[in-house]
Amino acid sequence: MAGRRNGLAVLVEALRTWLVPYRYGLERWSYTLQRISGVVITLYFVAHIVETGYVVGGPSVWTIRPDAQQYAERVWTETIKFLSNPLFDAGLAIIGFFVAFHTINGIRLFLAHFGWGLGRPTRPEPMHRPQSMSPTQRALFWASIAFAVFALVYTTNAFFGVLA
Amino acid sequence: MVSERTLMLIHYLTGLGILVAGAVHIGTVFLTAPVKENLEFAGSPFAVMGVYRNAILAGSLEALLLFVAFHAFNGLRVILIELYQSPRWEHAVTWALTVVALLVVIYGTRTIIIAYSIAQGVA
Repeated sequence: MAGRRNGLAVLVEALRTWLVPYRYGLERWSYTLQRISGVVITLYFVAHIVETGYVVGGPSVWTIRPDAQQYAERVWTETIKFLSNPLFDAGLAIIGFFVAFHTINGIRLFLAHFGWGLGRPTRPEPMHRPQSMSPTQRALFWASIAFAVFALVYTTNAFFGVLA
Repeated sequence: MVSERTLMLIHYLTGLGILVAGAVHIGTVFLTAPVKENLEFAGSPFAVMGVYRNAILAGSLEALLLFVAFHAFNGLRVILIELYQSPRWEHAVTWALTVVALLVVIYGTRTIIIAYSIAQGVA
Protein backbone atom coordinates (compact mmCIF):
# COMPACT_ATOMS: atom_id res chain seq x y z
CA MET A 1 0.00 0.00 0.00
CA ALA A 2 1.53 3.30 -1.08
CA GLY A 3 1.64 6.34 1.16
CA ARG A 4 1.00 6.83 4.85
CA ARG A 5 -2.47 6.00 6.04
CA ASN A 6 -3.95 7.80 8.99
CA GLY A 7 -4.51 6.14 12.35
CA LEU A 8 -8.29 5.94 12.00
CA ALA A 9 -8.14 4.04 8.69
CA VAL A 10 -5.67 1.59 10.22
CA LEU A 11 -7.90 1.18 13.27
CA VAL A 12 -11.04 0.56 11.20
CA GLU A 13 -9.28 -2.03 9.06
CA ALA A 14 -7.75 -3.74 12.10
CA LEU A 15 -11.11 -3.85 13.89
CA ARG A 16 -12.78 -5.28 10.79
CA THR A 17 -10.10 -7.95 10.62
CA TRP A 18 -10.70 -9.28 14.09
CA LEU A 19 -14.42 -8.62 14.36
CA VAL A 20 -15.37 -10.36 11.10
CA PRO A 21 -14.29 -14.00 11.40
CA TYR A 22 -16.00 -15.43 8.29
CA ARG A 23 -14.13 -17.34 5.57
CA TYR A 24 -10.92 -17.96 7.51
CA GLY A 25 -11.74 -21.19 9.32
CA LEU A 26 -12.18 -22.23 12.91
CA GLU A 27 -8.99 -20.63 14.16
CA ARG A 28 -10.21 -17.15 13.22
CA TRP A 29 -13.49 -17.75 15.05
CA SER A 30 -11.48 -18.80 18.09
CA TYR A 31 -9.34 -15.65 17.82
CA THR A 32 -12.32 -13.30 17.50
CA LEU A 33 -14.35 -14.94 20.26
CA GLN A 34 -11.34 -15.06 22.61
CA ARG A 35 -10.82 -11.32 22.18
CA ILE A 36 -14.46 -10.29 22.42
CA SER A 37 -14.91 -12.47 25.52
CA GLY A 38 -11.71 -11.06 27.02
CA VAL A 39 -12.84 -7.45 26.54
CA VAL A 40 -16.34 -8.19 27.90
CA ILE A 41 -14.94 -10.00 30.96
CA THR A 42 -12.55 -7.07 31.58
CA LEU A 43 -15.50 -4.63 31.54
CA TYR A 44 -17.41 -6.91 33.93
CA PHE A 45 -14.31 -7.21 36.17
CA VAL A 46 -13.90 -3.44 36.51
CA ALA A 47 -17.65 -2.99 37.10
CA HIS A 48 -17.53 -5.73 39.75
CA ILE A 49 -14.65 -4.03 41.59
CA VAL A 50 -16.47 -0.67 41.47
CA GLU A 51 -19.76 -2.20 42.59
CA THR A 52 -18.25 -4.12 45.53
CA GLY A 53 -16.20 -1.01 46.41
CA TYR A 54 -19.43 0.93 47.06
CA VAL A 55 -20.59 -1.70 49.54
CA VAL A 56 -17.76 -0.75 51.93
CA GLY A 57 -18.18 3.00 51.41
CA GLY A 58 -17.11 4.00 47.90
CA PRO A 59 -13.92 5.77 46.78
CA SER A 60 -13.77 8.26 49.66
CA VAL A 61 -13.68 5.71 52.51
CA TRP A 62 -10.26 4.22 53.32
CA THR A 63 -10.75 3.42 57.01
CA ILE A 64 -13.16 1.15 58.83
CA ARG A 65 -16.13 3.31 59.81
CA PRO A 66 -17.76 2.79 63.23
CA ASP A 67 -21.01 1.70 61.57
CA ALA A 68 -19.18 -0.27 58.85
CA GLN A 69 -21.17 -3.46 59.30
CA GLN A 70 -24.63 -1.86 59.22
CA TYR A 71 -23.55 0.38 56.34
CA ALA A 72 -22.22 -2.55 54.29
CA GLU A 73 -25.32 -4.66 54.97
CA ARG A 74 -27.61 -1.80 53.91
CA VAL A 75 -25.70 -1.02 50.68
CA TRP A 76 -25.29 -4.73 49.85
CA THR A 77 -29.04 -5.31 50.21
CA GLU A 78 -29.82 -2.21 48.12
CA THR A 79 -27.30 -3.30 45.44
CA ILE A 80 -28.79 -6.80 45.19
CA LYS A 81 -32.27 -5.25 44.92
CA PHE A 82 -31.06 -2.87 42.18
CA LEU A 83 -29.37 -5.68 40.23
CA SER A 84 -32.36 -8.02 40.51
CA ASN A 85 -33.90 -7.42 37.13
CA PRO A 86 -33.95 -9.42 33.89
CA LEU A 87 -31.45 -7.09 32.20
CA PHE A 88 -28.66 -7.84 34.70
CA ASP A 89 -29.68 -11.52 34.87
CA ALA A 90 -29.25 -11.78 31.10
CA GLY A 91 -25.96 -9.86 31.32
CA LEU A 92 -24.61 -12.29 33.93
CA ALA A 93 -25.68 -15.28 31.83
CA ILE A 94 -23.73 -13.82 28.88
CA ILE A 95 -20.73 -13.24 31.18
CA GLY A 96 -21.05 -16.91 32.18
CA PHE A 97 -20.97 -17.93 28.52
CA PHE A 98 -17.88 -15.81 27.81
CA VAL A 99 -16.00 -16.87 30.96
CA ALA A 100 -16.57 -20.55 30.18
CA PHE A 101 -15.49 -20.10 26.55
CA HIS A 102 -12.43 -18.02 27.44
CA THR A 103 -11.36 -20.62 30.03
CA ILE A 104 -11.45 -23.74 27.83
CA ASN A 105 -10.24 -21.94 24.70
CA GLY A 106 -7.46 -20.44 26.82
CA ILE A 107 -6.41 -23.95 27.86
CA ARG A 108 -6.45 -24.92 24.18
CA LEU A 109 -4.17 -21.97 23.33
CA PHE A 110 -1.91 -22.87 26.25
CA LEU A 111 -1.57 -26.44 24.94
CA ALA A 112 -1.08 -25.25 21.34
CA HIS A 113 1.62 -22.87 22.52
CA PHE A 114 3.57 -25.82 23.93
CA GLY A 115 2.95 -27.87 20.78
CA TRP A 116 0.53 -30.33 22.35
CA GLY A 117 -2.09 -31.82 20.02
CA LEU A 118 -0.74 -30.12 16.89
CA GLY A 119 -0.40 -31.93 13.57
CA ARG A 120 2.91 -32.56 11.82
CA PRO A 121 4.24 -29.71 9.69
CA THR A 122 3.49 -30.21 5.97
CA ARG A 123 4.64 -28.57 2.77
CA PRO A 124 2.47 -25.46 2.33
CA GLU A 125 0.98 -26.44 -1.02
CA PRO A 126 -2.15 -24.64 -2.25
CA MET A 127 -5.33 -25.45 -0.37
CA HIS A 128 -3.44 -27.05 2.52
CA ARG A 129 -5.11 -27.09 5.89
CA PRO A 130 -3.16 -25.48 8.72
CA GLN A 131 -1.83 -28.15 11.09
CA SER A 132 -2.46 -25.81 14.00
CA MET A 133 -6.10 -26.90 13.80
CA SER A 134 -5.62 -30.65 14.22
CA PRO A 135 -8.55 -32.88 15.20
CA THR A 136 -7.45 -32.55 18.85
CA GLN A 137 -7.40 -28.76 18.69
CA ARG A 138 -10.73 -28.71 16.86
CA ALA A 139 -12.25 -30.96 19.51
CA LEU A 140 -10.97 -28.61 22.22
CA PHE A 141 -12.46 -25.59 20.41
CA TRP A 142 -15.86 -27.29 20.21
CA ALA A 143 -15.50 -28.36 23.83
CA SER A 144 -15.08 -24.69 24.76
CA ILE A 145 -18.27 -23.83 22.83
CA ALA A 146 -20.12 -26.71 24.50
CA PHE A 147 -18.95 -25.65 27.98
CA ALA A 148 -19.92 -22.04 27.22
CA VAL A 149 -23.44 -23.10 26.19
CA PHE A 150 -23.68 -25.20 29.36
CA ALA A 151 -22.62 -22.17 31.44
CA LEU A 152 -25.19 -19.99 29.64
CA VAL A 153 -27.98 -22.46 30.47
CA TYR A 154 -26.74 -22.98 34.04
CA THR A 155 -26.46 -19.27 34.88
CA THR A 156 -29.76 -18.47 33.16
CA ASN A 157 -31.45 -21.09 35.31
CA ALA A 158 -29.63 -19.98 38.45
CA PHE A 159 -30.37 -16.28 38.06
CA PHE A 160 -33.76 -16.15 36.37
CA GLY A 161 -35.06 -18.84 38.66
CA VAL A 162 -33.81 -17.03 41.75
CA LEU A 163 -33.30 -13.29 41.42
CA ALA A 164 -36.16 -12.14 39.21
CA MET B 1 11.03 -2.27 30.57
CA VAL B 2 9.86 -5.82 31.01
CA SER B 3 10.32 -7.86 27.85
CA GLU B 4 7.37 -9.08 25.82
CA ARG B 5 8.48 -12.65 26.51
CA THR B 6 8.26 -12.15 30.28
CA LEU B 7 4.89 -10.40 30.00
CA MET B 8 3.42 -13.28 28.00
CA LEU B 9 4.89 -15.84 30.41
CA ILE B 10 3.18 -14.00 33.29
CA HIS B 11 0.01 -13.84 31.13
CA TYR B 12 0.00 -17.64 30.86
CA LEU B 13 0.85 -18.17 34.53
CA THR B 14 -1.86 -15.75 35.71
CA GLY B 15 -4.26 -17.59 33.37
CA LEU B 16 -3.45 -20.81 35.23
CA GLY B 17 -3.81 -18.95 38.55
CA ILE B 18 -7.27 -17.69 37.52
CA LEU B 19 -8.19 -21.28 36.67
CA VAL B 20 -7.68 -22.16 40.35
CA ALA B 21 -8.72 -18.95 42.16
CA GLY B 22 -11.65 -18.40 39.73
CA ALA B 23 -12.86 -21.96 40.28
CA VAL B 24 -12.80 -21.34 44.05
CA HIS B 25 -14.72 -18.05 43.62
CA ILE B 26 -17.34 -19.42 41.22
CA GLY B 27 -17.54 -22.62 43.23
CA THR B 28 -18.27 -20.80 46.51
CA VAL B 29 -21.01 -18.69 44.90
CA PHE B 30 -22.70 -21.38 42.79
CA LEU B 31 -21.94 -24.83 44.17
CA THR B 32 -22.02 -24.57 47.96
CA ALA B 33 -25.69 -23.56 48.34
CA PRO B 34 -28.49 -22.03 46.23
CA VAL B 35 -27.23 -18.75 44.72
CA LYS B 36 -29.92 -16.73 46.54
CA GLU B 37 -28.64 -17.97 49.90
CA ASN B 38 -25.00 -17.19 49.01
CA LEU B 39 -25.93 -13.68 47.84
CA GLU B 40 -27.30 -12.80 51.27
CA PHE B 41 -25.15 -10.52 53.43
CA ALA B 42 -24.69 -12.97 56.31
CA GLY B 43 -26.29 -15.97 57.94
CA SER B 44 -24.65 -18.92 56.18
CA PRO B 45 -21.03 -20.10 55.79
CA PHE B 46 -20.83 -19.00 52.14
CA ALA B 47 -22.90 -15.83 52.30
CA VAL B 48 -20.79 -12.67 51.67
CA MET B 49 -19.60 -12.22 55.27
CA GLY B 50 -19.10 -15.97 55.63
CA VAL B 51 -16.69 -15.96 52.69
CA TYR B 52 -14.76 -12.94 54.01
CA ARG B 53 -14.56 -14.34 57.55
CA ASN B 54 -12.62 -17.28 56.12
CA ALA B 55 -9.01 -16.08 55.71
CA ILE B 56 -8.25 -18.65 52.99
CA LEU B 57 -11.27 -17.67 50.87
CA ALA B 58 -10.62 -13.93 51.40
CA GLY B 59 -6.96 -14.50 50.46
CA SER B 60 -7.97 -16.39 47.33
CA LEU B 61 -10.16 -13.41 46.34
CA GLU B 62 -7.11 -11.13 46.69
CA ALA B 63 -5.10 -13.58 44.55
CA LEU B 64 -7.91 -13.63 41.99
CA LEU B 65 -7.94 -9.81 41.95
CA LEU B 66 -4.19 -9.66 41.26
CA PHE B 67 -4.29 -12.41 38.60
CA VAL B 68 -7.31 -11.02 36.75
CA ALA B 69 -6.01 -7.44 36.90
CA PHE B 70 -2.75 -8.45 35.23
CA HIS B 71 -4.33 -10.90 32.77
CA ALA B 72 -7.13 -8.50 31.73
CA PHE B 73 -5.01 -5.39 31.26
CA ASN B 74 -2.15 -7.25 29.59
CA GLY B 75 -4.75 -8.76 27.24
CA LEU B 76 -6.09 -5.27 26.47
CA ARG B 77 -2.51 -4.11 25.86
CA VAL B 78 -1.96 -6.93 23.38
CA ILE B 79 -5.19 -6.04 21.54
CA LEU B 80 -4.41 -2.32 21.46
CA ILE B 81 -0.83 -2.65 20.21
CA GLU B 82 -2.03 -5.09 17.59
CA LEU B 83 -4.65 -2.63 16.33
CA TYR B 84 -2.10 0.06 15.63
CA GLN B 85 1.70 0.02 15.64
CA SER B 86 4.03 2.80 16.66
CA PRO B 87 6.58 3.06 19.49
CA ARG B 88 4.79 6.10 20.93
CA TRP B 89 1.40 4.37 20.89
CA GLU B 90 2.83 1.21 22.45
CA HIS B 91 4.52 3.22 25.19
CA ALA B 92 1.39 5.25 25.93
CA VAL B 93 -0.88 2.18 25.97
CA THR B 94 1.48 0.25 28.26
CA TRP B 95 1.79 3.05 30.81
CA ALA B 96 -1.89 4.04 30.77
CA LEU B 97 -3.00 0.44 31.31
CA THR B 98 -0.38 -0.10 34.04
CA VAL B 99 -1.79 2.90 35.92
CA VAL B 100 -5.42 1.74 35.50
CA ALA B 101 -4.52 -1.82 36.56
CA LEU B 102 -2.74 -0.53 39.67
CA LEU B 103 -5.73 1.66 40.59
CA VAL B 104 -8.09 -1.32 40.22
CA VAL B 105 -5.79 -3.50 42.37
CA ILE B 106 -5.46 -0.84 45.09
CA TYR B 107 -9.21 -0.15 45.16
CA GLY B 108 -10.11 -3.84 45.15
CA THR B 109 -7.57 -4.63 47.88
CA ARG B 110 -9.08 -1.91 50.05
CA THR B 111 -12.53 -3.48 49.57
CA ILE B 112 -11.21 -6.93 50.54
CA ILE B 113 -9.37 -5.62 53.63
CA ILE B 114 -12.41 -3.67 54.90
CA ALA B 115 -14.79 -6.57 54.13
CA TYR B 116 -12.44 -8.98 55.94
CA SER B 117 -12.31 -6.67 58.97
CA ILE B 118 -16.12 -6.27 59.05
CA ALA B 119 -16.63 -10.00 58.66
CA GLN B 120 -14.56 -10.80 61.77
CA GLY B 121 -17.18 -8.98 63.86
CA VAL B 122 -20.28 -10.47 62.20
CA ALA B 123 -22.02 -13.26 64.10
